[in-house]
Amino acid sequence: MKAFLAVVAHHFARSRVRLCGAGFTPAICSLLLPLSLLLCLSALNAHAAKPALTEVRVYPADINLRTSGDRQSVIVQATYADGLTRDVTAESSFALANKKLANLAVTATGSTLTPLVDGTTELRVKFSGKSLVVPVKVEAAKTAEPISFIRDVMPVFTKAGCNTGGCHGSSRGKDGFRLSLFGYDPDGDYYRLTRESITRRINLALPEESLVLEKATNRVPHTGGKLFTPESEHYRTILAWLQAGAPKDKANVPQVVRLEVHPKQSVLAGEGTTQQLNARAFYSDGSDRDVTTLTVFMTNNDVAVKVSETGKLTALARGEAFITARFETQATGVQALSIPKDLNFTWPASVAEANYIDTHVNAKLRKLRLAPSAVCDDATFLRRATLDITGTLPTPEAVRAFLADSSPQKRETAVDALLSRREFVDVWVMKWAELLQIRSADQQEQMSTKSALQYFDWLEDQITQNVPVDVMVKNLVTASGPTFENPAANFYKVERDTLKLAENAAQALMGVRIQCAQCHNHPFDRWTMNDYYGFAAFFSQVGRKPGEDPRETIITNSASGGVKHPVGGKDVAPKFLGGPAPELAKGADRRAALADWLTAPDNPFFARNLANLVWSHFLGRGIVDPVDDVRVSNPALNPELLDALAARLVSSRYDFKQLVRDICTSRTYQLSSAPNDSNAGDDRNFSHAAVRRIRAEVLLDAITAVTGAAEKLKGLPDGARAVEIADGRTSTYFLTTFGRATRETPCSCEVKMEPNLSQALHLLNGDTVNAKVLNGGLVKKLQKAGRTRAEIIDELYVRTLSRPPTEKETTALAAFFGESKKEDVVLNDLFWSLLNAKEFVFNH
Amino acid sequence: MQQPPPHAPWQPNRREFLYVGLLGTIGATMSDLFRAQAHAATPADAATLDTVAKAVAANPRAKSVINIYLPGGMSHQESFDPKINSPIEYRGPLEAIKTKVDGVYFSENLKETAQIADKITVVRSMTHGEAAHERGTHSMFTGYRPSPAIQYPSMGSIVSHELGPRNDLPPYILIPNQSTPYAGTGYLGSAYGAFAVGSDPATDGYSVRDLTLPGGIDPARFAERREMRSVVDAHFSALEKSDALDGMDSFYQRAYAMISSDKARAAFDIKAEPKKVRDDYGRNAAGQRMLLARRLVEAGVRFVSLTYGSWDHHDNIKRANGTQMPNFDKAYATLIRDLDERGLLDSTLVIVNTEFGRTPKINGTAGRDHWPKVFSIALAGGGMKRGYVHGSSDATGGEPDADPLSVEDYAATIFNQVGIDPGKAIMTPGGRPQFIVKDGHIVKELLA
Repeated sequence: MKAFLAVVAHHFARSRVRLCGAGFTPAICSLLLPLSLLLCLSALNAHAAKPALTEVRVYPADINLRTSGDRQSVIVQATYADGLTRDVTAESSFALANKKLANLAVTATGSTLTPLVDGTTELRVKFSGKSLVVPVKVEAAKTAEPISFIRDVMPVFTKAGCNTGGCHGSSRGKDGFRLSLFGYDPDGDYYRLTRESITRRINLALPEESLVLEKATNRVPHTGGKLFTPESEHYRTILAWLQAGAPKDKANVPQVVRLEVHPKQSVLAGEGTTQQLNARAFYSDGSDRDVTTLTVFMTNNDVAVKVSETGKLTALARGEAFITARFETQATGVQALSIPKDLNFTWPASVAEANYIDTHVNAKLRKLRLAPSAVCDDATFLRRATLDITGTLPTPEAVRAFLADSSPQKRETAVDALLSRREFVDVWVMKWAELLQIRSADQQEQMSTKSALQYFDWLEDQITQNVPVDVMVKNLVTASGPTFENPAANFYKVERDTLKLAENAAQALMGVRIQCAQCHNHPFDRWTMNDYYGFAAFFSQVGRKPGEDPRETIITNSASGGVKHPVGGKDVAPKFLGGPAPELAKGADRRAALADWLTAPDNPFFARNLANLVWSHFLGRGIVDPVDDVRVSNPALNPELLDALAARLVSSRYDFKQLVRDICTSRTYQLSSAPNDSNAGDDRNFSHAAVRRIRAEVLLDAITAVTGAAEKLKGLPDGARAVEIADGRTSTYFLTTFGRATRETPCSCEVKMEPNLSQALHLLNGDTVNAKVLNGGLVKKLQKAGRTRAEIIDELYVRTLSRPPTEKETTALAAFFGESKKEDVVLNDLFWSLLNAKEFVFNH
Repeated sequence: MQQPPPHAPWQPNRREFLYVGLLGTIGATMSDLFRAQAHAATPADAATLDTVAKAVAANPRAKSVINIYLPGGMSHQESFDPKINSPIEYRGPLEAIKTKVDGVYFSENLKETAQIADKITVVRSMTHGEAAHERGTHSMFTGYRPSPAIQYPSMGSIVSHELGPRNDLPPYILIPNQSTPYAGTGYLGSAYGAFAVGSDPATDGYSVRDLTLPGGIDPARFAERREMRSVVDAHFSALEKSDALDGMDSFYQRAYAMISSDKARAAFDIKAEPKKVRDDYGRNAAGQRMLLARRLVEAGVRFVSLTYGSWDHHDNIKRANGTQMPNFDKAYATLIRDLDERGLLDSTLVIVNTEFGRTPKINGTAGRDHWPKVFSIALAGGGMKRGYVHGSSDATGGEPDADPLSVEDYAATIFNQVGIDPGKAIMTPGGRPQFIVKDGHIVKELLA
């Protein structure tokens, strides 16, 4: 029916033109016009089968104009039933109920209001039959706000890039002039601009001839080139400040407390499609300001979506981008997806959802128009799950039994069986030992081997007992007493530096890297120096006394001490990262307040960080990745999934096993690594399994296990596996070469997975593979037991690759067994080849 | 976008590393989809990218670098900057001797080096403020002050990243082992790490780790194994595509090339040197490590870093210097002469380097303590001046007196000589662009 209408409408529209052209009177034409337009509209809708308009939103939702120089731009975004969005600002109509109060004009950043007369009214916005009302308030319309160095001038330096690390923000400045990096020190910047080199940088008698303006406009040679023109708003702002006599701000100038950027998500179809962003800053005095032209926008994927100086997004190649917006000390981000226009995509009907994990993963994939891959085969699943859950390879018996099992529930049963094994605990003890940096020091008096072992034993006990992680972490953070009696107190022995302790705690327990903010406000995140030193203050009253044994330290709450802010040199009061400053009685253990906040169920970091760590272990990539680098510019790629996993941890009292079971029984975990047509380019949204190199310890243990040739590890009993190493200082050439964590830092980057030349040489020529193949004597044993050549080949394949050889492989291998060759030599060479194969070294 | 540096196809830089596999397998259009952390452009970054295009000298002066690192902090007074006219407590226990350059004196244990002073540049005004071993070491290996937020790569790893391997040999080699984490890859992937020979060439049992075939495996059997491995690998290779797999393949290819190239293996074989040459360098750690370094750069290795001795002479500096310096002296002078005679000195930059100098005054235990404000290094070949002394320290060796050389300027000059633009930005995994050298200037006065 719709199609029919479309044809009729088109026909009619065309014939109208012809009719008019053929000499019909204008009156008749005008009579025909409304009808044809109406028909055309419905025709367009019908013709392209355009998804229905589901929502129209106006940003911002309210408009406050205060003082004569204020302004506010407005944008309109439409969302359609297929999830696509469109910037419809230019197609919308805007009308003020009381036109006297404000002026309305179209600017680069949207429809922009400027104040005329005080009062309240509303802005009526209409698009495609939907209308919205935005309240408008105008205050002090006739009063000019005095120009401010911090509010007006410094944002220009940041926006123009003057105070970046490559320019004047460098710690030594550039070409003789220094600004604080991203403006962390306004007083210092004011001093350097106006006083450090009097009469040089500013000229109050002839403001236009101030060097700061002449350089920025490149009227005198400037290494940084021309940053803006004399006609620009930036120029006018600095000039106005100079004309006013370059005043210093009074104390208590309003601070920016929040930055809002809209729209939060844009799904743009087709290269070249644009969406204007709108940025508004909120100040401590309750005022707000349109800062779209003063905000620094950065895309993390300029191939997919680029962003202009003034915040206009443009879709390019297919992909996903996060746009970081920074204004003064505040940073926030928005997401933008670029989808090909008229993409022919249908969600496969065969995708079942095993649990909430699949629901969230698939929701994101649908939005991206990506279909998940097929589910992997049984042999792959068993190998993958056994390696991930237990850090071991499945035994040949387990492989054969699993392949022969016809139960439809066999994968769930296998996951449960693997979870009940001791090796599952060992894997997580190892991972926690890395986070807690359990390692003896080169100087034994700092951290003795004995202390490291006690700490490790304590940890192993906690994980074995399945002590809820929030409880365990609370015990660590508040640990006091002699380290021999309370090994958890080694948390404060491993690291003695207050600032490092704070950094490590933030990184290991919250997944946040605050290191940058030690010296300057974080450029790609929201952390300021105040946040950094406020958080460090929680660790500033840890007392350390020598115990009776020289290897022992007694940890106490010294109830005194603090950390000083490098700008100003004053003690900083404890303040939770991204949270409030707690009321603390003098002498109260600051760590107790921190532990309570950190492990509270509503803490925004703790459970999410743990959930992400677990997820990353099983899927090969975090939802935030790397797992310990949550940032505005590196957000969770699927926040709903991360929230759900975190909620699961909290509701199960941090029972890891339940979360792991959810993950391993999800369809997402069981996907094949082979991509399909739609998802081949995706490696971030879990649309197919990641092929991952097996980590150092597990790989060494696997080689030891399949060859049967023991590995003697220093300080460990015979038969112990590398996964069980207690002291981070214990290593072997193999482990170091394959990137074992040294545990010198809590960074996830400690575990290195990249290939390198030494690894290849070692597997080919080194004493691990070659010697173990010989020393284990497996081939000889099998021959002695009367196994045929084919049986032995089968056994070697199942042991190493967890699958029997293919027919093609059997045929190709037969050629290597010549009459003149000793069969055991060729079989050992095959064993060696299998251990050097990518299929062995990678989990897939 | 920046020009890709001239890599061999199987040694892409980190960013390309992510793409190359995709390009080769599923087509160029796919490579841009959903790529991990792309470019976080800042105005500063944009500015540098412009300079990158013009960078990378087409014909660098130094084709190779030998970095001789003297760990612990070699005293400048007891080496290249004797304080002849200072009171005895500053001058120290050693005498000064004349060199081949008029008016230039070295400490008495540098007798041989004094004879090649006309071939080298001595810098007497090296300066930084890092008085702890690890911080000084970090500065001199990376060209950066240590940062709490980021691990910087060593200069060798930057060379590896920017220039890649040559003649089947690793681009960056350490003799004998990686002695400090700062000789490592920092924010670059471990693919750009050094290959450590793993054994001291001065010892009888010297053999390069994993380079020679294991006992009982002859080249024919190795070839058989290699063929068999390709059979075993074929199934998986056909099914699975990933950058990590391509990466492993490329390093296997490099390993095969190295193992089976007689030339590559011979580069490590110090026993192939004539007995006299080995004697001339000295049958000790200093001599044999420097000789091995010469063999390696001659064969095509781009950056060789070796360590010798332990120079943290807090006590009895006279005795300590007397046991270590003569071997260094003989080896270094022989190395410079040898390179020069072979016509390699102009294309090989030889650095004598340490983490800092030592206190102006002799301490209570007849030694000297850490002193980073001013110290000496030596630069030879690779376009450096011959017979030149750069900068000076004051009368007591306490502060730079003229032309202080900062770590950044030092690093910028070295990179410039090997054909790497020190102002180029490299993207770190966290999306923060990092300059190869920050705020460094090429010191023209050092260059011939």
